[in-house]
Amino acid sequence: MGDFVLAGNMDFLSLGDVLQLLGSNSSTGILRIRSKYAQEPGLIYFINGNPVNALAGPLSGLDAVNALFGWVDGEFEFSEEDIRRKNVIKKSRMQIILDCLSMLDDGQIERLGPVSFPAKKKSSSKKESTLPIIKGPLIDYSYVVDEEEARAGNKIVAQGKHGGWLWVILEGVAEIIRETPQGPLKILRIGEGAFIGSIASFLLLEGTVRSAAIRAVDNVQLGVLDSRRLSIDFLRMSNPFRSLAISLDKRLKQVTDMAVNIHLKKIRIEDYINGKNQLITQGDSETDLYQITEGEAHIVRHTENGYVPLANLHSGDFFGNVSFLDLGQEPYQASVFASEDLKVNKIDPEILQKEHNRLSSTFKNFIEHLATCVSVTTMLACEFHKKTGEKEP
Amino acid sequence: MAIFNFKKREIECKIVYYGPGRCGKTTNMEYIFKTFKKQVVGEMVSIDTEGDRTLFFDFLPIGLGKIKGFDIKVQVYTVPGQVQYRSTRKLVLKGVDGVIFVADSLAVRREKNMVSLKDLQHNLKEYGLNIFKIPLVMQHNKRDLAGQGFPIMSVEQMEKDLNRQLKVPSFPASAIIGQGVGATLKECLKLTLVSFRKNLQLGR
Repeated sequence: MGDFVLAGNMDFLSLGDVLQLLGSNSSTGILRIRSKYAQEPGLIYFINGNPVNALAGPLSGLDAVNALFGWVDGEFEFSEEDIRRKNVIKKSRMQIILDCLSMLDDGQIERLGPVSFPAKKKSSSKKESTLPIIKGPLIDYSYVVDEEEARAGNKIVAQGKHGGWLWVILEGVAEIIRETPQGPLKILRIGEGAFIGSIASFLLLEGTVRSAAIRAVDNVQLGVLDSRRLSIDFLRMSNPFRSLAISLDKRLKQVTDMAVNIHLKKIRIEDYINGKNQLITQGDSETDLYQITEGEAHIVRHTENGYVPLANLHSGDFFGNVSFLDLGQEPYQASVFASEDLKVNKIDPEILQKEHNRLSSTFKNFIEHLATCVSVTTMLACEFHKKTGEKEP
Repeated sequence: MAIFNFKKREIECKIVYYGPGRCGKTTNMEYIFKTFKKQVVGEMVSIDTEGDRTLFFDFLPIGLGKIKGFDIKVQVYTVPGQVQYRSTRKLVLKGVDGVIFVADSLAVRREKNMVSLKDLQHNLKEYGLNIFKIPLVMQHNKRDLAGQGFPIMSVEQMEKDLNRQLKVPSFPASAIIGQGVGATLKECLKLTLVSFRKNLQLGR
């Protein structure tokens, strides 16, 4: 294997840029692309700056290159090597780049990441479900103690029932459904690497009631997680981090409740902003993190269709900037309004960041998954808000 | 921000045609591709994007001389204006060296021209570029339609609408018959190279 001569992050230099760079440098060698959402790295072989073949999972040739354009937050390494591969890619470099980018934007190439929108077929009608699928990074099997299967259409958990088991989806897609007076409402779709269950399971004193039903869309392979080991991980966390995890779990329930209530038109925005102090304005570059000790705060997003309430926070909850998680809410994408009597403690985000880095991979994935769910449900709440607004004259 | 390729002793620079849908960007590029075939390296890449086309080819202009002993290779692009084509637009506009704004002379497209120019300013800003500083040339295309009885705007009116503040060089053109196409590109290349030389001097 040759030495790496170029390496970096796709966030910074996209595959299109890398291909251009290798092209104008007439490089010969192998470009390896790694994504935490793929088991094996993807490979593109270059001769004199032109891609000649590629591999990505089961795909090869041009199909593989196309798919690799969807690995948007992967990492890449290029090594100079002698390539004796047959040239199976006949398209020119620029043709590939421009083709792939427009397919990516048209949704014909799947973006690999925590949230994936299934690749669109050109014929698909708009009426089909457009809920994205939330996935998780690679599963750490050392936490999986047993496997179960849920047949397509069967319920994995029922809303309102007690239960503390935690699962990770090994294969297949499931739907999260909230029962409402107007019938069942689909909230999210989750796939490989996504978690089922709540952090509340680790709080021994509280009974855990399932807040939504989960139904298998196709045959779903579930991994039963080692709750004892996760509980130990949880108990070893510092108090502030534990509170943050619990607050995050609550935030997801809150934003789901809000989305449902917006859908049912049971929300009055005045209740969340009138007479309140605006502490954080959407778009602020707030860097601090706060824990509420008294009073309450509301998270509200400002959209072109008006204000959308997202969560109500109480004593013990956090708000502000959690640098290592993307909730899709404050400070960049939502504002915080607070009651007159709000009292807070400032938390050092760096200490939490360090602790987050030390977490077991499964717990880290669990927390990341919670954040992604909060962010996608936020989008859904805004979507519902837009729809209910449209119906009114 | 052109790329200096030391291996090939080439400076690669990027010229982008921008303008509202169906204003004639593609016609401009197709005309250049056909007419200056000998200076074009490789094939023209054409991608169908919704409502518009994205085109690309490499072009070796002659008569521009060398810069510090480097040949000049120009990558010529059009860019899809639609919001959804973010990734393509990003790739195309990243490090763009010169822009040709093609405006449509048809009276009914007046609004579309202005929106597109505003959009260009916004998109350039996203990549840290200033529409007032980047080498920019304007083309008032489809002048030939006047003879066919279509209501078109006067050049004065278009200048007032689009070029009052920018005050960049502008050319009347009929891309379909090739009129004004070469002049527009030549002026843009000239401005781009002047701006290069200036930057190189400043950097010394």
